[in-house]
Amino acid sequence: MEKTNTPKSHSPVGESKPRIDAREKVTGAALYADDIQFGNKLLHARIKRSPYPHARIKKVDLTRARALPGVKAVVSGEDFSGYIGLYLKDRQIFCRERTRYVGDPVAGVAAINPEIAEKALGLIEVEYEVLEPVLNPEFGASPQAPLLHPDLGQYVVASFILPRPGSNISNHFKIRKGDVASAWKKCAAVIERKYRIPHIQHAPLEPHVAIAKVDESGEVTLWDSSQSPFAQRDLIAETLGISQSEMRVIAPLVGGGFGGKAGVSMESLAVAIATKVKGYPVKLLLTREEEFYTAFVRQGLVATFKMGCDKNGRLLAMENTFYWDGGAYTEYGVNITRAAGYSCTGPYEVPNIKADSYCVYTNHPVGGPMRGFGMPEMHAGLEQCIDELALQIGMDAVEFRRRNCLKGGSILPTGGKMHPTGLSECLEKAAEAIDWGKKAPPTAPNKRRGKGLALMWKAPAMPGNAGSSAWIELAEDGMLTLGVGCQDIGQGAFTVAAQMAAAAFGVPYESVRVATPVDTRYSPYEWQTVASRITWSTGNAIINAAHDARQQVLDLVAKAWDETPADLDIVNGMVVSFKSEREIPVKDLAIKGLPKADGKGWMGGPIIGRGNFMPADVTGLDPETGQGEKAVVHYTTGAQAIELEVDLDTGRIDILKGVAAFDVGKAINPDMVKAQMEGGLIQGISSALFECLQLKDGVVQNPSFVDYRIATSADLPKSVQSIIVEVPQDDGPWGARGIGEHSMVPTIPAIANAIYDAIGIRFEGPPFTAEKIYLAMLEAGIVKG
Amino acid sequence: MTTHTHPTLPEFDYIQPKTLAEASQFLAQHPDEARPFLGGTDVFVRMRDGFLTPKFLVDVKNLDGTNDLRFDPQAGLTLGAAVNMNRVIASPDVQEHYPLLAEACRLVASYQLRTRATVVGNICNASPAGDTIGACLALDGVLHVHGTGGLRREPLATFFLGPGKTTLKPGDIVTAVSFPVPPKGCAGAYLKLGRNKLSDLSLVGVTVLGSPDPGLPSRFRFRIVLASVAPVPLVAAQAEAVLAERAVAPESIRQAAQLASEASTPIDDVRASARYRKLMVRNLTEMALTEVWKKLQK
Repeated sequence: MEKTNTPKSHSPVGESKPRIDAREKVTGAALYADDIQFGNKLLHARIKRSPYPHARIKKVDLTRARALPGVKAVVSGEDFSGYIGLYLKDRQIFCRERTRYVGDPVAGVAAINPEIAEKALGLIEVEYEVLEPVLNPEFGASPQAPLLHPDLGQYVVASFILPRPGSNISNHFKIRKGDVASAWKKCAAVIERKYRIPHIQHAPLEPHVAIAKVDESGEVTLWDSSQSPFAQRDLIAETLGISQSEMRVIAPLVGGGFGGKAGVSMESLAVAIATKVKGYPVKLLLTREEEFYTAFVRQGLVATFKMGCDKNGRLLAMENTFYWDGGAYTEYGVNITRAAGYSCTGPYEVPNIKADSYCVYTNHPVGGPMRGFGMPEMHAGLEQCIDELALQIGMDAVEFRRRNCLKGGSILPTGGKMHPTGLSECLEKAAEAIDWGKKAPPTAPNKRRGKGLALMWKAPAMPGNAGSSAWIELAEDGMLTLGVGCQDIGQGAFTVAAQMAAAAFGVPYESVRVATPVDTRYSPYEWQTVASRITWSTGNAIINAAHDARQQVLDLVAKAWDETPADLDIVNGMVVSFKSEREIPVKDLAIKGLPKADGKGWMGGPIIGRGNFMPADVTGLDPETGQGEKAVVHYTTGAQAIELEVDLDTGRIDILKGVAAFDVGKAINPDMVKAQMEGGLIQGISSALFECLQLKDGVVQNPSFVDYRIATSADLPKSVQSIIVEVPQDDGPWGARGIGEHSMVPTIPAIANAIYDAIGIRFEGPPFTAEKIYLAMLEAGIVKG
Repeated sequence: MTTHTHPTLPEFDYIQPKTLAEASQFLAQHPDEARPFLGGTDVFVRMRDGFLTPKFLVDVKNLDGTNDLRFDPQAGLTLGAAVNMNRVIASPDVQEHYPLLAEACRLVASYQLRTRATVVGNICNASPAGDTIGACLALDGVLHVHGTGGLRREPLATFFLGPGKTTLKPGDIVTAVSFPVPPKGCAGAYLKLGRNKLSDLSLVGVTVLGSPDPGLPSRFRFRIVLASVAPVPLVAAQAEAVLAERAVAPESIRQAAQLASEASTPIDDVRASARYRKLMVRNLTEMALTEVWKKLQK
């Protein structure tokens, strides 16, 4: 197809363009890390793991394993030094003195096939001295708890993380604002509630996989399923004591991330083993069981909320305490604690605040980032309290939220002011779509019907200087190749990136290719594909790169035509002049430039544009008060509403209708924004009704899809409505901000509020299983024993 | 405590006998090492999980008659051992004469699994949670067993001895299950409770088959079989007796449901508590009986 002849269309931004990766994924042509062939030198790695939640390693004997034919390398903690971690370097690649969770890596094997590697694990002899475990974050934070990281004071830590050496608290974030103690007296109603949110797992279709190879000169190549190739380059290189340029990460398509493939987790194991078998690629592929308890899990949370309002329903004070069950290592989780701290009020203006968010070491699986980064867990209780407080003063829950929710200019818990936000519009639209205030009869006599609603907010949680970059190259055919370092984890990042590049440069969407797979040797830098920051941050870098390339084209043509660049534009791949009405296809000058007017020589040359972006104005917060000018770059806000029925015979919940309304600033691709809203709602429903890592004495009891249930298509609401609200972000590309994670933040409390509306019962936490509901109804006399 | 993460299947030899005699002989000669298998949907998972480590897996799928699905208006239905559940569901004869069996098959796992899973495999696996076993028991299923001594018939009613335990001896291969023509005017229901709506194992399963029977005081005969609430698929005999003796009405249905609940002996596990299961036996039995009773009155 002759791209430059494509008829003039609207800007590719704001159009629901088909996904750039749809065809390869649907046909099965798409390449994932496990698909890459490495030939007969490939070695397979397996990991010897601690069977105890907390133990001292007395002795590791690798002799018998090393003697097994087919085994090429056996390593343990003694072979490596140093620590690894994103915000707090508290993790060893292989355990040295101590193991801290069931599954903690003690030794590793590389062999010619997985069977021999597995057999070798059985020949590794480890002697443990079992230690008392910490299995509860509240106990873990107390002085009575055994100390899990005696070296906490020596760990390298980011400036905004505040560990308490000598305790199990690896971060304590505080907000002290106004005067909470005297505010209670002014309240017409005060409630105090406690919630427990269980651990859950990301459960991606594709488990973690990493293939590492170290060549003779010591240069490392890592192929893996990753949201964070650049962060892995940085962190793994540093831990191994090599330079970042000697570490190359190639990240093909990702079969589901949800945060679990951010930062560094099992990838460092593959690299460490590969350093002992230079020249051999070493593959480590987690089994589903390992995925459940040795990859990141979503942290557990014990949260207490105290909040009060005056008789008009105005929120006067909140006192919130969060104990995060960070697990054995909190290198990433410490920042979830911080995010929950600075967002502790939910999307409401509250003048008096006292908040303490503690990240606590326990002997549970390692907590890490998961879609929502602490917000679904925090909002789960908070948004139920809002309903309860409204009920207590006799006010409709939507009216209560209407009065208190953040508007542009509202004062934030950290002290700064809220930017313009469509939260109120989201609230109104969600309430309208669910027919708020109208009670419909149940569909059968043995059902009870209810409605619930919840609001949310979430900011990208990241260092203030998390950067993005992009480049753009033109080819002879006028096609534009876009280099980005962000990852498409199914959210559609590459599609949106191509749309933005096309719009910013002036070609149709179909004229853009994205240079994949992301390869840290050739792709431009990207901090990580996390925090719902890609459309916003990478988008800005793409605009800058496109404008850079575009300027080069316009300057060249202006010179050739003796016009000024301001009179020129690029439309559908054609450079056009408004002044002279001349035009020339971009492809005619993309590589070979243009001849000089006098025919003697050439000007221009291959066009390549570059752009970067880094937020410039995020400030630190006072460690004692949590106050500062600008805590985060922005907040995405939104609302969800649920209508459901409870079955009185079984306790089962049927979600009849789900409504989502989010302020995305600008929907670059409306269908994909809606897909994010639907996907988040479904994952939210799944986490509200079914999902729970059942931990007993530190052991996950249900590490398989047989007993870790996730929602299937049959469990989804019959009706889903997704509403896009667009109040532009001043520094967002076309006004856009993120939506990837936000869509599962308010689901648990919206469902909990609907359950209360249906049967008048509240629970300490999800999942709201049929059994839990039925037994509670029995207790309440709603059904008979 | 375990950190067994199950990367691969253990090694085994795959045996494909040519005749039933050969298969029985091989199995009898390796009583502790060989295991027959059909769709493999259970055996491979259990091998990967380390619960089974057979040296030989004997594939009995392609032996004489095991692929046949036959219906005869006098003799009834015969399902060959290798007939997968999707075939059972799709069979017009099953749909017309044994809809309860099709309904039970439809609630097993997922479509993909049902292209491998078989009714005979479900029976021989002898899991108390087996979704199709209730229907097979209620429909008076009889197993065709080929052993070293030749062919014999084994009624399902006395087949189950415990979880995974049956009356089969080394060398025995179930080649088919057959069902007599169901009683005239009968109606059935299978209610399965899982944690979510699709593809879960049953926390509780209740199969009910009812039919007019002028010889009984109530003039109706009910079969009630419970899944997942006892070491074996449980026939709720006392509950059946109540409905045979007393006029069928909401009150006797409730009483029968209560008796079924009392007969059950469920356990606590990661899926559900015994207490919830017992309550659900009561509620689901009442629902299933009510549904069947409604159908019978039409």
